[in-house]
Amino acid sequence: MNKFALGCGVLIAILLFVVVVAAIAIGGSYNRLVRLQQAVDQSWAQVQNVYQRRADLIPNLVNTVSGAANFEKSTLVEVTNARASVGRVQLDPNKAPTDAAQLQQFQAAQGQLSNALSRLLLVSERYPELKANQNFLSLQAQLEGTENRISVERGNFNKTVQDYNVAVRSFPTNLIAGMLGFPPKPFFTAQPGAEKPPPVQFNFGSPAPAPAATAAP
Amino acid sequence: MPNLPRRSRLIVPLRSGHTIHLFLAALTLFAISANAAEVIPATPSAYFNDYAGVVSKEAASRFNEQLAQFERDTSDQVVVAVFPKMQSDSDIADYTQRVAQAWGVGQKERRNGVVLFVFIEDRKMFIQVGYGLEGALPDATTFDITERHMKPLFRAGNYEAGLATGIDLICKAIRGEYKGSGKTAAGGGGVFSLLPFIIFIIVLIIISRVIRKAGGYGYSSRGGGPVFIPSGGGWSSGGGSSSGGGFSGFGGGGGSFGGGGAGSSW
Repeated sequence: MNKFALGCGVLIAILLFVVVVAAIAIGGSYNRLVRLQQAVDQSWAQVQNVYQRRADLIPNLVNTVSGAANFEKSTLVEVTNARASVGRVQLDPNKAPTDAAQLQQFQAAQGQLSNALSRLLLVSERYPELKANQNFLSLQAQLEGTENRISVERGNFNKTVQDYNVAVRSFPTNLIAGMLGFPPKPFFTAQPGAEKPPPVQFNFGSPAPAPAATAAP
Repeated sequence: MPNLPRRSRLIVPLRSGHTIHLFLAALTLFAISANAAEVIPATPSAYFNDYAGVVSKEAASRFNEQLAQFERDTSDQVVVAVFPKMQSDSDIADYTQRVAQAWGVGQKERRNGVVLFVFIEDRKMFIQVGYGLEGALPDATTFDITERHMKPLFRAGNYEAGLATGIDLICKAIRGEYKGSGKTAAGGGGVFSLLPFIIFIIVLIIISRVIRKAGGYGYSSRGGGPVFIPSGGGWSSGGGSSSGGGFSGFGGGGGSFGGGGAGSSW
């Protein structure tokens, strides 16, 4: 009888020990996942921040450029339209997207705006009046800086997503991540067409060729 | 055994002429891979670093002291690096951002670092601005500094004057953004930064006394108790806080860069 009670006690102690260890392990993994997710969300906020900065520069740029005598209207319209379509693909700035298609759509809209903008800057090279305009030059520097910031923040975002995804997918955290709802997150990919070199055309007389999709968004 | 002649036949032509081709191919491959690799230079130990040898020694130490004093005054770190050549195939903006980030110029919380990169053979320069100074040194200002003030002097081959102008203008633009703390990150910070350390030692001594009085512990028989000897770690010793002469070392504080800034080519 005494032996039985002792056996029960040992069994209960072992069970308790296992439960406590499991709880600590799950708690630790959970906290780690939360921390990584926070890092992803924060870097996503930065990405949104720099894209917003670019969008905010555009009205000013359009105003300045359209002030130039008979500036090509089509490029201006293109930029304005691209900016409007960017505004339509609004994602939550505080939470990184979990849906790959959503991010793809966002990226496509931003990429379109990038193309329209680089075309605008290219066309503006042909207007000496603009190149002498201090306001335009400063806007141009800001736009270029913003494109640099975008590429930096996208890189940072991809890095945090990678850390997060590795944690979510590796054993044994993946069991806990599945139970507690930590899905893997999508990241930015290279623009479709970026792997192809842009066509080089040496016809300087005719209008500048449309730049092919660049690696920058 | 029947394999042997075939093998020797294989070796013979290699020796006669193909070895050279193979060697050349290997060399080309090596050259390509060496070209594609990007080199992040080691963190410099000074504020002004002329790896290309375009300014005089006196000017270099003058610039260095000017930038060290600037950090003492404002706490903002401005580092200048003049390289002979860019060791990367990337765009200058991307590459210099990675280098500046790796060096950690600026303080970690304020992120107030600026790095002026000059690549002599590429005829390119770029000012990288840390997150914390993007307000004081917007892209348009950095572009103005490189394009309108430094570029004409560089074009004329006057690197010393160009760098002096650049340093002056960067410092002027960011002056007043933060309040100075009178010290550099590498230099010691006077008595007050040692205060917690001293208290710690006093507490240790008291504890060891108490333990010795209580007796009963094995190690107290040595008579000394646990004595903590400061071994000089914990702070870097790169010049005093109020140094008049001597070399002022630069120590990165873990600042971060988000791609702000602009550059020109001349």
